Amino acid sequence: MDPFSAEGELLNIHNAFHSGQYPEVIDFETAALSPENQLPARVLKLRAQIATGQAAEVLATVSSEEDTPDLAAVKALAQQVLGKTDAALQLAQDLAENYPDNATVEVLAATVLQAQDLSEEALALLAKHQGNLEAVSLIVQIHLQQNRADLALKEVQAAKRWAQDSLLVNLAESWVGLRVGGEKYQSAFYVYEELASAPSTSAPLSIVGQAVAELHLGRLPEAEAALNSALEKYPEDAELIANSIVLNVLSGKPSTDLEARLSQVQPSHALLADIQEKSDFFDAAASKYAPKVSS
Amino acid sequence: MQSSPNMLTKFESKSSRAKGIAFHPTRPWILVSLHSSTIQLWDYRMGTLIDRFEEHDGPVRGVDFHPTQPLFVSGGDDYKIKVWNYQTRRCLFTLNGHLDYVRTVFFHPELPWILSASDDQTIRIWNWQNRSLICTMTGHNHYVMCAQFHPTEDLIASASLDQSVRIWDISGLRKKHSAPTSISFEDQMARANPNQADMFGNTDAIVKFVLEGHDRGVNWVSFHPTLPLIVSAGDDRLIKLWRMSDTKAWEVDTCRGHFQNASACLFHPHQDLILSVGEDKTIRVWDLNKRTSVQSFKRDSDRFWVIAAHPKINLFAAGHDTGVMVFKLERERPASAVYQNQLFYITKEKHVKSYDFAKNVESPPMLSLRKLGSPWIPPRTVSYNPAERAILVTSPADSGTYELIHLPRDATGAVEPTDVKRGQATSAVFVARNRFAVFNPSSQQVDIKDLSNSTTKTITPPAGTTDIYFGGTGCLLFITPTTVVLFDIQQKKQLAEVTVSGVKYVVWSNDGLYCALLSKHNVTIVTKTLEQVSTLHETIRIKSATWDDAGVLIYSTLNHIKYSLLNGDNGIIRTLDQTVYLVRVKGRNVYCLDRNAQPRILEIDPTEYRFKLSLVKRNYDEMLQIIKNSSLVGQSIISYLQKKGYPEIALQFVQDPQTRFDLALECGNLEVAIEMARELDRPNFWSRLGAEALAHGNHQVVEMTYQKQRNFDKLSFLYLATGDQEKLSRMAKIAEHRGDFTSRFQNAIYRGDVEDRIQMFKEVDLYPLAYLTAKSHGLTEEAESILESCGLTEDQIGLPSLETPLQTPRPIVPTFKSKWPVKAAGHSSFEKALLGEVGADEEATGDALEFGEDETEAVLAKDTLDDEEEDASGWDMGDDVNVEEDVEFVNVESAEAGAGSSEADLWARNSPLAADHVAAGSFDTAMQLLNRQVGAVQFAPLKDRFLEVYKASKTYLPASTGLPPLVNYVRRTTEETDSRKVLPIIPRDLETIASVDLQEGYAAMRANKLEEGVKIFKRVLHTLLVNSVSSEEEVEQAKKIISTAREYILAMSIELERRSVPTDTEEGLKRSLELSAYFTIPKLEVAHRQLALMAAMKLSFANKNFNSALGFANRMLANGGSAKLLDQARRIKAQCERNPSDAIDVEFDQFAEFDICAASFTPIFSGSPCVTDLFSGAKYHEQYKGSVCRISEVTEIGAPASGLRLFVPGL
Repeated sequence: MDPFSAEGELLNIHNAFHSGQYPEVIDFETAALSPENQLPARVLKLRAQIATGQAAEVLATVSSEEDTPDLAAVKALAQQVLGKTDAALQLAQDLAENYPDNATVEVLAATVLQAQDLSEEALALLAKHQGNLEAVSLIVQIHLQQNRADLALKEVQAAKRWAQDSLLVNLAESWVGLRVGGEKYQSAFYVYEELASAPSTSAPLSIVGQAVAELHLGRLPEAEAALNSALEKYPEDAELIANSIVLNVLSGKPSTDLEARLSQVQPSHALLADIQEKSDFFDAAASKYAPKVSS
Repeated sequence: MQSSPNMLTKFESKSSRAKGIAFHPTRPWILVSLHSSTIQLWDYRMGTLIDRFEEHDGPVRGVDFHPTQPLFVSGGDDYKIKVWNYQTRRCLFTLNGHLDYVRTVFFHPELPWILSASDDQTIRIWNWQNRSLICTMTGHNHYVMCAQFHPTEDLIASASLDQSVRIWDISGLRKKHSAPTSISFEDQMARANPNQADMFGNTDAIVKFVLEGHDRGVNWVSFHPTLPLIVSAGDDRLIKLWRMSDTKAWEVDTCRGHFQNASACLFHPHQDLILSVGEDKTIRVWDLNKRTSVQSFKRDSDRFWVIAAHPKINLFAAGHDTGVMVFKLERERPASAVYQNQLFYITKEKHVKSYDFAKNVESPPMLSLRKLGSPWIPPRTVSYNPAERAILVTSPADSGTYELIHLPRDATGAVEPTDVKRGQATSAVFVARNRFAVFNPSSQQVDIKDLSNSTTKTITPPAGTTDIYFGGTGCLLFITPTTVVLFDIQQKKQLAEVTVSGVKYVVWSNDGLYCALLSKHNVTIVTKTLEQVSTLHETIRIKSATWDDAGVLIYSTLNHIKYSLLNGDNGIIRTLDQTVYLVRVKGRNVYCLDRNAQPRILEIDPTEYRFKLSLVKRNYDEMLQIIKNSSLVGQSIISYLQKKGYPEIALQFVQDPQTRFDLALECGNLEVAIEMARELDRPNFWSRLGAEALAHGNHQVVEMTYQKQRNFDKLSFLYLATGDQEKLSRMAKIAEHRGDFTSRFQNAIYRGDVEDRIQMFKEVDLYPLAYLTAKSHGLTEEAESILESCGLTEDQIGLPSLETPLQTPRPIVPTFKSKWPVKAAGHSSFEKALLGEVGADEEATGDALEFGEDETEAVLAKDTLDDEEEDASGWDMGDDVNVEEDVEFVNVESAEAGAGSSEADLWARNSPLAADHVAAGSFDTAMQLLNRQVGAVQFAPLKDRFLEVYKASKTYLPASTGLPPLVNYVRRTTEETDSRKVLPIIPRDLETIASVDLQEGYAAMRANKLEEGVKIFKRVLHTLLVNSVSSEEEVEQAKKIISTAREYILAMSIELERRSVPTDTEEGLKRSLELSAYFTIPKLEVAHRQLALMAAMKLSFANKNFNSALGFANRMLANGGSAKLLDQARRIKAQCERNPSDAIDVEFDQFAEFDICAASFTPIFSGSPCVTDLFSGAKYHEQYKGSVCRISEVTEIGAPASGLRLFVPGL
């Protein structure tokens, strides 16, 4: 029943999407797919387009043929990404109410909800899934964002029982592993390294994952090698730049250039916002102190 | 009984019936004596016939190599025993005496004896040194088929068609022939004892035992190499095992199986096995202990006659009706797998062990695989999975089995594995973290299995697949007899295919980009997508390969270690005395497993291939490095460079002038060529140089070479061509001198010198020509005079019609004056690198010289500095203000329920260190802590440090698309998972500060960049203030660094202040002098203090403060150090001593103890009130209490504080 199972014909496009190979997804040949798989494949392609920054085009495409809940969900996501948050929320909530059993709706509407910090609503929607691994991985991520590694771990272990070999479960387990730490860092490293080293799955996503795992393992030179070679290949990838900043700071190297680059590529990146916020916080906190005698 | 899949034939020869075989003890040679009277000497490794010896008449049945000498012995049906020297390829002599066919001949292992057995029913011992018969043993009453010496004892075993085996004691013979020693009474008695003598009273060789048990004639007998065992083979088709003690011998057991006459048998030299051959066309292997058949090998149509074992190596040879086969019983390649710095391998005892390349240590056994496969069959391959720490082992037993075993965490001994998954397959490899592939050739099916051994996927490989290998992540390589196929498991798709036949092993490069496919005689290098990069052929078998980190393939053949670059260039690195299986190359070490599965390290010289590699990569710097640092010479590398078109590089390291000359010509380097030609100074070289220079148009060089060759004609022509009239006339003079008229004429023509031509014609009595020349050039007078002297008139001569006289061509450009525009001497980039390097080198050495002094001083100063600091470490003890410890845990608001608290919150909760709070982003609590610990009040200077620490605390992991990345927190406690103990990583640890920042500060001091220095040292203070260390020792170290930084900041600030003081007023001058004196007070490193003293001394001296200057000079001299500085000090001291008085009175008493106030830069004499900054330790006059410390810029002077905390025990 699961079109993404190991024998299904969507396996390759699905894996390509989740290992972050968006160009491959967009170029994927779908003509040969059976009719019932055409729509899921189309959704994946549209999502890949959104992920590569073509949300506006996607919105234009789906707006004209918004006849299935799947495409409507894609529309909601595109709106969210384009900053039309109110419309996106409205649409997502509608969809969640009307089509809670549609796998695409579950995942995309929950993404929109979570992106607007409505974690409880997102989780409630996702809880209705029936063997949708993507929903599982989303649940794991939401739990982790809520700092509930314990719940995330439970979710992963439950999923492992019925889908041990899925890429998504492996990835979700690595996310949890990187939060838990200790030996789990190494296991997460293996998962990402395997992805990053195989030509059929290598993408910024997997290289960043590998480098992050190495950072956490304290293996800075290896992390540096991975990030530097990836940066040459994908100079515009925000997460690559962000993690390179962290690495440079850790190894005592200047990071100003990279920060400038990041603010160009993605001015809204969490790292920059965070630093700005903390900088202001610092000034506020520091102003409470003064020497008894000013010199 | 199973037929043998394991018998590995290494060599086969085709000839007539082979009756005798002998292995050379050290070389890969085998002697074969044939029924056709020939003796063949084969190299079984190369498969070549080295020599043939044909002097026997009729079949040759016995043959043996001498263990040490270049000799062998043979015996045949011509009754003769011949001793040969295989080096001179001659028969040295013949031993005559036997009266019938000679069956076997053997050398004694140490004595100069030969043992022969013959159909004349005797066994004879000969001394081959004096070529005499020394003993004849009679007793058998039929043909003696075989007689052998015991390898260590004075015993002989013989086998005869009289159905008996006899054991003979020859100790008497040895005594008789050993160096004469006094014979004891007992010996005399023993020798005289008639009971032990044979019927002729002969005590040299006596029958010790007669072994009867065979029902038919016995064909062969052998001793066990170490145990008191004997094995015999007879026409009753039986192999019998006998045991003997000192006094008796008895039959132990019989091995039944041959169904025709058994011809020969022997014990396996190292294993508990018996091997036998028979006329039933089989070789059989028996278990010595159980006397059961282990394996057998059958030939189709050839009866076996003889078998021999190599004394050292696991090799056997058997002679049959149509030749000889050399074989071994089992694969000797130990199964092994390499992962990063670890080698996993299976020993001969079937124990799994690991070897650490980084530490060069072998682990104790981790597992015992005793139960895997059958006892005599070693495992074939092992594949390692680092993520699961599991191994996959395959064994060829039972037509292929595999086992999946988890390795124990620690190697505790050869334990039996638990939880083993097994199945049927000939190959099994891990293909991913949690997947492995197994291949079953019978079903032609590859199963992908998960770690619980259940099949998740089934793949049908290409037809004829024989083996599978790892093909990069998620991929497999299928090996068929003619191709290798790359297959993506997930997509179930063939990605690439390459046609390479007979691939046996696949070796991936360390970076996974290239892969070497090894077949018996070929190495093919392909990329990870199976594009062929290069291929090479070896005549000798290729055994193994491994990749150097630089991407050079190192491979081993039977007797060499060789390398191959990606472009296929290859060469020998070293020879091998025994076959090894390479597993890893690291620097100059090659790690390998030998045939006993022992890890060994072989040293190699990687220079040659590294050089070639850098040549290919055009990495000239590295080439230079190699040329400089190693003795890379030899013809091979030069011819290699020449062949590859790099004569200019070859030129760099050739000494021999002739080769240099050749190379210089080849790369058109005329300068070098000239130099070399001068050195060689032979016409041949000059002429070649001339030709080359001419081609370059370099006429100066051409001129020189012509001069050297005395090639006047060509010189003249050259001058003509370059328009050098002057030299041309000189040439004419030279020609005149030499009396060479042809040359003179030629020069005259070149110069257009008609007079000279006429003159010359006249001199050689060619008056007609002289006249004609004169006439045609319109020199009528001259013509007249010529006519006159000949006594002729004009009408007597018939002249051809005269045309315009010859015009000599004149060069338009005076080429001779200038150089021909030669292409700028083409320095190759390599040469440039060479030149650049040389330049840089000089500079570097220059620099080093300048700095040398400083550095040595710094080292010298180190000790004293340490002492001082130990004293100084007491500073913060005195005025310690007691602040309660328990207030250090600042409360952190716990996060709201529902969502959990982030790790950052945990950090702040777990630690009382300000740095950890900063990393957690809890800046307010961090400031609170710093305020309490060190009285920090002004935080602005710490902002960069705060943000730096905070920035390093989190990573961003992209997860689901459309959502922000997952934030994870970087820990310094990487092994910890207990949320109460996790702590953040803090960038710039103590070591970095000490080894980087502090050194930068010192450098600024040396370079006199004081503003920068102050900044650097302040940064050091700030970095330390927000930091964590890992032990109490490091806390002490941190304190030392703080005080060092303080002293430097103080000193530099004083000096900076001095520079800003105007010296045009008297007060200004006084203050300046004082400050320069104070500059000498802070505890700097001695080398730096010398600088301060020097400056103070000079300033005082210049201002006639001789007394102060004297004081500084004395201190400098006391400090010692650089001779240059000391010299100056001595000179000033001498001058000042004449008038030790100060012109200006300054507030500086060199003999008093005082500190410098860091705010006012005035002395604080001991006893006067002062306050100290708790963090930096700087001292101030009391009025500065409550203001911000000038040194740290953060802390409040004299504020109550508990002391900085950098380390929490137990966390």
